[in-house]
Amino acid sequence: MAKRPGGELATRPLHFIWIADCSGSMSVDGKIQSLNTAIREALPHMRTVANENPNAEVLVRSLAFGSGAQWQVSQPTPVADFKWTDLQTNGLTDMGLGLRMVAEQLQMPPMTDRALPPVLVLISDGQPTDDFSGGLAALMREPWGKKAVRIAIAIGEDADTEVLQRFIGHAEVKPLQANNPETLVRHIKWVSTAVLKSASAPASQAAGLAAGQNVPIPAPPTAPTGPQAPDDVW
Amino acid sequence: MSGSPGTGAAPVGWRALRASVRGAAHLRSELPNQDAVRIAPGARVDGADCGDAAALVLALADGHGSPKSFRSQQGARLAVAVALQTAGQLPLTAPPTLRKRWAEEQWPTALVRGWQAGVARKLARRPFTALELGALDEPGRRQLEVNPALAYGSTLLTVVVGPTFILYLQLGDGDLLTVSADGEVGRPLPPDARLMGNETTSLCAPRAADEVRVYCQTLAGAPPALILAASDGYANAFRDDEGFRQVAHDLWAMLRDEGEAGVKPHLRGWLDEASQQGSGDDISVGILWRAP
Repeated sequence: MAKRPGGELATRPLHFIWIADCSGSMSVDGKIQSLNTAIREALPHMRTVANENPNAEVLVRSLAFGSGAQWQVSQPTPVADFKWTDLQTNGLTDMGLGLRMVAEQLQMPPMTDRALPPVLVLISDGQPTDDFSGGLAALMREPWGKKAVRIAIAIGEDADTEVLQRFIGHAEVKPLQANNPETLVRHIKWVSTAVLKSASAPASQAAGLAAGQNVPIPAPPTAPTGPQAPDDVW
Repeated sequence: MSGSPGTGAAPVGWRALRASVRGAAHLRSELPNQDAVRIAPGARVDGADCGDAAALVLALADGHGSPKSFRSQQGARLAVAVALQTAGQLPLTAPPTLRKRWAEEQWPTALVRGWQAGVARKLARRPFTALELGALDEPGRRQLEVNPALAYGSTLLTVVVGPTFILYLQLGDGDLLTVSADGEVGRPLPPDARLMGNETTSLCAPRAADEVRVYCQTLAGAPPALILAASDGYANAFRDDEGFRQVAHDLWAMLRDEGEAGVKPHLRGWLDEASQQGSGDDISVGILWRAP
């Protein structure tokens, strides 16, 4: 075949960011250990989904917030190479700072307009102790923050689901409630597979028509909230 | 439906090519190609000299393909048909100011009304089935109740080359590029910063006519040597915008140096490669160029 016109071809980047609460309360009743285990166990499933769509390049990062916030994995890392570093708990719940740091990374550049909508997964067991509204506003000022698929997981009954709902920003998508390790594993796996698969499909959406996200969110494995179950520990 | 717009002198020397391929991701998920591309006059387009036409019209549409736009393949085909039909109303011999006013004020309304009327006819003949609606969630079904045209949602690019002017029209994502006689690549319409993250303005939006962008170019100086229209799957297949703009330049150079034989036999293969190794999306192109 004759030389192909144009420059270098490339698959479309899909940025997937874990935003995890590492406040002191996450050390109670094994929550942080369960979160570490759930994400580590979900990674092979995430890789499988990524392999099924070779036209999306899944790049993973993780950020922890407690007293302050810091990137655990700061560079967008191909999911095949991504390794989960166990999170340690410390102090407060600086969720607003965490969102500001994510917002900085969603600026263009370094992001490009040809990316697929990023997936942001916020996991928390408590209430923000800093300026959450300011952090959320910073995130929503970025075009990719606004267009991101935003999912939230509430660990335990003390989690502030109202704050998590504001992060999601779409009334029809509710925070996922995890009151025991098994449910947490199920939610983490759902985000890592079903949501990732949906976000990596390139179908277009008509903008500005009623409510709804620019990426269809599949139904979660169970109802987002429910009555206390016998095996609930959080 | 008329596909030969107006009357008047011919746009001498323009030739045309088009191609459309099903996206790699669509092949994997067994979805059809939801793009459509047509050039009027249709029968003698590919490689033939279009010099006997009063105006040459290229229309390219990209059906949204999302679950709620489950009939967008039909919506895209309807869009290009309506584009060719409404271009037939273009006052070819009118003064430039009147032609410009028609293009900016009347054409968008005619396009959107024509498309929506076509959707209404299609829906009357074949209402949504339980199977189609059953695949949607409740919010999706509610949206379709309010706006059934969403099922047919599509973008539209149209180029009309007349004897003394070129009209460019864009609604939604996709790209229009031009190449000058000395190889410089340009965009007749600036990129719309709102169109990112898979969201696009659309023919199915309630105020679609207001979203249509038009540029009228008078051919007083040097007209473009090549015009490329492409669905967004093509630009998204390249690492950066420079790599995509290079496509237009390379096609211009190939057609200049080798003629149609240097492009036509390979075009579908190039688009397939771009979809497989790049965006995974359907890719369609229409190319208008002036033979040397």
